[in-house]
Amino acid sequence: MIFFLVSLLVAAFIGLTLIHICFPLWKNGALLFKICLGTGLGLGITSCVLFLSLFVTSAQFVLLPESFLTFLALGCWWFMTRKKKPIDADILSGRRERFAYTNILSAFLVAGLLSSVASFILAVVREPHGKWDAWLIWNMHARFIFRAGEHWQDYFASGLYWTHPDYPLMLPLSIVRSWKYMGIESPSIPILLSFLFMFALIGLIVSSLTMLRGKNQGYLGGLVLIGSPFFILMGASQLADIPLAFFLLASIVLLFLYDQMPGGHHRLLVLSGVAAGLLAWTKNEGILIALMLILVRFFVVTGAEGWKSAVKQVSWLMVGVLPVLLLTASFKVMLAPTTDIFAGQNIQVIGDRLTDIERFKTIIGAYIQTGLTFTQGIPDIRTGFRFNPGVAGIALLALYLVLSGTEFNRKDKVNILHVLLVTLVTLGGYFLIYLITPHNLEWHLITSLNRLFIQLWPAIILITFVAARTPEMVFPQDQRRREETRSVSEKPGKRKSEGR
Amino acid sequence: MQEKRKASSQRQRFGIALLLLTAVCLYGNFDLLYSRIRDYPGRNWEDPVSAHEKRMESLKAFLPPVSSVGYVTTVENEKLFSLEKSFRDVEFLAQFIVTQYALTPVFVYNSPDHPVVVGVFLSGPPDPAFLRRHRLVSKKDLGVGVILFERRGES
Repeated sequence: MIFFLVSLLVAAFIGLTLIHICFPLWKNGALLFKICLGTGLGLGITSCVLFLSLFVTSAQFVLLPESFLTFLALGCWWFMTRKKKPIDADILSGRRERFAYTNILSAFLVAGLLSSVASFILAVVREPHGKWDAWLIWNMHARFIFRAGEHWQDYFASGLYWTHPDYPLMLPLSIVRSWKYMGIESPSIPILLSFLFMFALIGLIVSSLTMLRGKNQGYLGGLVLIGSPFFILMGASQLADIPLAFFLLASIVLLFLYDQMPGGHHRLLVLSGVAAGLLAWTKNEGILIALMLILVRFFVVTGAEGWKSAVKQVSWLMVGVLPVLLLTASFKVMLAPTTDIFAGQNIQVIGDRLTDIERFKTIIGAYIQTGLTFTQGIPDIRTGFRFNPGVAGIALLALYLVLSGTEFNRKDKVNILHVLLVTLVTLGGYFLIYLITPHNLEWHLITSLNRLFIQLWPAIILITFVAARTPEMVFPQDQRRREETRSVSEKPGKRKSEGR
Repeated sequence: MQEKRKASSQRQRFGIALLLLTAVCLYGNFDLLYSRIRDYPGRNWEDPVSAHEKRMESLKAFLPPVSSVGYVTTVENEKLFSLEKSFRDVEFLAQFIVTQYALTPVFVYNSPDHPVVVGVFLSGPPDPAFLRRHRLVSKKDLGVGVILFERRGES
């Protein structure tokens, strides 16, 4: 287990270094933000490095390139601490009202986190190998690559299409990487990595909202995420959906921070691009989301700031996204077989499906039903869920926004619009895939749609709490104090007048 | 005065929103924990994947050094995927997948037409006619519903 910790620390250190170069703040949630983002990004980046290493080095030396990267990161820290003083800026400066019940909110969040850890452990006890897709896809791929040694590429040409050998390798290679450090294949590694990604994602949403909108919004955002049972269950399932949600949220948060940082730190755009690239390296649908993130960003920024600014921003994003996209493309071209969605398809069949009204109706129905219920848990595959207003979901967030009201600045408005459009376009893309899927449509919808929704869920929570008015705006502690002080000072006067 | 009333109503609405949000989120979170505790399978629980892995561990000792094997089970091979996709039976497909999961990096093909074939018969014995038709001869019966076959006329 010590070697797993070493593998984790190395990945987190590499990720943290990269983030610190791009975002040199420490205050107001930035430390938690950096630790969470650094761990996730570090795991993603080291899986890319391992993929390249597998090609160019023999099995004993696959961790050597990563060691060079670690030394490079050490050098960066040495350079940064010598040359620069840490920046003491604060994104939230000027918005410093307090809320009297912040401690209660934080206590709720801590209680919810403890309960989530317990739920995670109990779910893992019941299914230590994870849910169906964990042993069918992700852990299976990791085993093939680790156990086959020098012959690791044979699996991709094996013809075992039902194991989806075309799926990108971020998660399997992160597992393999830890096994390589340990020298043995341990079933606890996929569990620990799932745990890390899930809690790093919770930490990321809490810290991002804290930096962008204050502590209370951070706590509320975290509460909604851990109050969604399906999120916790997916976290314990050892699937790639939570890592994908992590990279999506990371990419979006970095765009928000880019707009908030004085002077426009272009490095944050590069980092956001890296996170977007890791989306594509995690799951096939991540390729669509990554492309939409960049494309929609171009149009939204063009509308808000003009095309010159849009070209500039997208160029910086491309600097980050291109290396990882090229890596994913090389995997797809050199190793991966055709994706099952497109295998054996032809124009005639696709055309027939695209014009089948019944398929449209089925998919729209599933979108509405799943959209309202996906956070509730893992549904019975035969019956699905009925809408339960007592579980945090889209309906609750909408109601919260209506009751709390909204208040945000112009730059946040651009980013909120960006996320909303990316979500809509991505859901539209999925709609198209469902229309042409060669699989049984009902089966395909019920086994995947809720997972696609949970990938987008943290980003939706983020924009909700960026848009919503904060508790301290409505209940400022200073005002409460003033009111209390006034009522106390008024009382003797009142008595005096009553005495008269 | 009107502004004061507006601010007060806004505070009330926000208060309701906060209470509702925190209550629903905490309820969802604790309810999940309660359901996990209720479904706790006990200390002696062995999940189906680990149990099948154990069966396969004993098979590995008898497996010749091959890179791929065939697979047979109680139902015909063609039905494994169709039964699952029609939501009728996931067990046969799950057993097949976990067999591959356990025997990795050996490739397990859903077909009896291989020199070495793994048979998993947890849900019932093999059909003798099926075995005859595919010239499958038992090489080792592990006694746990798992049989290693060889195809007659091939080595």
